[in-house]
Amino acid sequence: MQRLGSIGAAIFWLTLSVVVWPAGAGAQPARPQTPPDISGEWRLENHEEDTTAQPPLGDYLGIPFNDAGRMRADTSAESIWGTPEYQCRPHSTPHQWRGLGGARILKEQDPLTRSVATYHFQFMRSLDRPVFMDNRPHPPAWAPHTWTGFSTGEWIGNTLKITTTHLKDGYLKRGGPQTSDMYVMTEYITRHDDILTIVTVVDDPIYQDQPYVESTTYMIDLSSVVAMETCNASSFAENGGTDRHHVPHFLPGQNTALKDWLKTDNWVPEEAARGGVKTVFPEYRSTLNGSVSVANLVVPQSKSVGSVRERIAAQSPRDGEVHLLPVQGNVFMLVADGNNVTASVGAEGVLMVNTGSAKMTDKLLAAVNQLANSVLSAPATNKCAGAVCPGSWGWASPYINNVISSPAPPRPLRYIINTSADPDNIGGNEKAATSGFFPRGGGFGSAVESVGQKASIIAHENVLNRMSTAAAKEPAAPAAALPTDTYYDEFHKLPEFFNGEAVIVYHAPDANTDGDSFVYFRHSEVISAGNVFSTVSYPVIDIQKGGSIQGVIAALNHILDLAVAEYRGQGGTWVIPGRGRLSDTADVASYRNMLTMIRDRVQDLIRQGKTVEQVKAAKPTMDFDGRFGATTGPWTTDMFVEAVYKSLKEKK
Amino acid sequence: MRSVFLSVAAVLLAGAALSAHHSYAATYDTSREVKLEGKLMQFVYRNPHSFVQVQAPDENGVMQRWSVEWAGTAQLENAGVKRDALKVGDEVVIVGRPSRVTGEYRALMVSLKRPSDGFTWGGRTGEVVD
Repeated sequence: MQRLGSIGAAIFWLTLSVVVWPAGAGAQPARPQTPPDISGEWRLENHEEDTTAQPPLGDYLGIPFNDAGRMRADTSAESIWGTPEYQCRPHSTPHQWRGLGGARILKEQDPLTRSVATYHFQFMRSLDRPVFMDNRPHPPAWAPHTWTGFSTGEWIGNTLKITTTHLKDGYLKRGGPQTSDMYVMTEYITRHDDILTIVTVVDDPIYQDQPYVESTTYMIDLSSVVAMETCNASSFAENGGTDRHHVPHFLPGQNTALKDWLKTDNWVPEEAARGGVKTVFPEYRSTLNGSVSVANLVVPQSKSVGSVRERIAAQSPRDGEVHLLPVQGNVFMLVADGNNVTASVGAEGVLMVNTGSAKMTDKLLAAVNQLANSVLSAPATNKCAGAVCPGSWGWASPYINNVISSPAPPRPLRYIINTSADPDNIGGNEKAATSGFFPRGGGFGSAVESVGQKASIIAHENVLNRMSTAAAKEPAAPAAALPTDTYYDEFHKLPEFFNGEAVIVYHAPDANTDGDSFVYFRHSEVISAGNVFSTVSYPVIDIQKGGSIQGVIAALNHILDLAVAEYRGQGGTWVIPGRGRLSDTADVASYRNMLTMIRDRVQDLIRQGKTVEQVKAAKPTMDFDGRFGATTGPWTTDMFVEAVYKSLKEKK
Repeated sequence: MRSVFLSVAAVLLAGAALSAHHSYAATYDTSREVKLEGKLMQFVYRNPHSFVQVQAPDENGVMQRWSVEWAGTAQLENAGVKRDALKVGDEVVIVGRPSRVTGEYRALMVSLKRPSDGFTWGGRTGEVVD
């Protein structure tokens, strides 16, 4: 069994040397090349790895793990497959080429040029993965990530180079080694007669010191048919017990079976089995006879291109602009300088979930107004002429009006829902509410006058309590910014459909604070999660204002109970985080899983009698810090760990 | 000859279907066994893997709802286990490989017996979840 990544690396460079620079020193005249046809049914040759075997725990051979990657792998439990959200997930994209069942590659042509516009890759446990060949750009950073990601391809000589971004977190292979959701995968696919060589380069700056390279071989097989594995998951946890929110994992040091496989594979050095960049190159062999120590070993360096911190921040850019992403049904996501605002736009008007920071209000309202105009007052093509057209009154075609006059303005902003009293959620309340209109007419006398006819502002009553009371560093909010309609129960329903659907505001008790809510658009199938969910940081937990890690986890579990995946654990109910990229059930589950693991780790350290400083020193978040942590700014990893500690010490 | 070929094909197909999407070796402690004697609560006959849920005591004698992972439908069908082979309320004796995660009431099926009529699965050719 050959598993060292260095072999993959060697094949990769050899392949490139052959296919990218074919003329080389041979001085052959350059000529246009017709890319080979890679479509067809392909059979996996188990030359590089016996993929029919069950990979053991702790086998990280050839993986250039950093410490965070190794900790993530050590503490992840394969039982995670049993959670309701993961039972039907397909294989992670890096593992697809090594999964069983063959590969099918289809091609979709441009009808005008007959060039290949899109390749489609399919495996037994995969979704269809389109590879776009038409030079389209990759989506913005705030677009959702999927199991298959977003792939574009280009021919370099006879090699198809595919770049895939927007991938969900997953695994390099079964049995432990994980990836973050920030990895980029590059594939180099070369056909030599009936052999297809696939070199995959997985660049995960969160968990690896340098890209992980593998090569896999396929043979054309006209008689094979790629199997389709059905999946009939259920809402019960396959892990036993009765807790559907159970998150299996190992506490650090608890996974004692990591070296068991070395008892039979005793030719593998224990150090190499743990992975790491110094163990994946041939130079490592010189350490086996003691001539060089691992610490002094020099190996090739191939760091990731670009800063992962910048890529994470780009999911929620603080660029002073408003970016629009249509989500589903009536609902749109507006990325407004680091804060997400949700808008429902329809025939009955506009509803906003949160109003962003105060400095962004004018741009935000202009964007919402432009959105409402484009959705509701878009010019209509004339499909009928004469006096008998649908909707005509009297002698004229209604379409004449579209030509000779401007369309009617959309109905105004009617509702604002504040998911918390965070200044980044309420900053635009006053201006936004004033720009809106909520009819409160007739028969209510002075009470109506005091509320006015501005847009209704809905929030949990603890939001009103905080906003109307001056705190140490926060003055009370102006009256026009205060919630006009508060609730105190576990949820609040808008009393009637808005834009054709039920809108339900759920309280998230003791989450980031004591006044958090999230909003469910029941027909559009979108949840605006507020601050309980972020893809760019750990949750901000304000203990002084009633927040707790338990409350955040409970809120995420509540969201998971409401949300339903569309197919194979992705899509379906979309979840808009308070900050970060658009997400789905799998993303929320991943965040929930992380927080549950951290909660359990800190709880275990408390059980051992550790102080808060000792808990911080133990680095219970180390494997997630590269993705969600911070050492500077308003919410650092230390502050988060301290909040978790206090949550567990004070609210058992 | 034809029947032999079909048998081989069936085994190959079943083999492809049963290969776990997750790693059994990483999920279960294959060096240990747990014996569960209790009442069948649910038989989920499905792909990629079937599950049997049993109410049975844990090592401390506390009743728990155990989830026992079994083979996919193709492999079970080939072994003569149909959808109606087990019924809720059946008293069964199961031997399985326990989860590696402490506190999980989950196991990988090694054998199942129903004493009331002598139904058994496990041990014969093809009756292994691997």
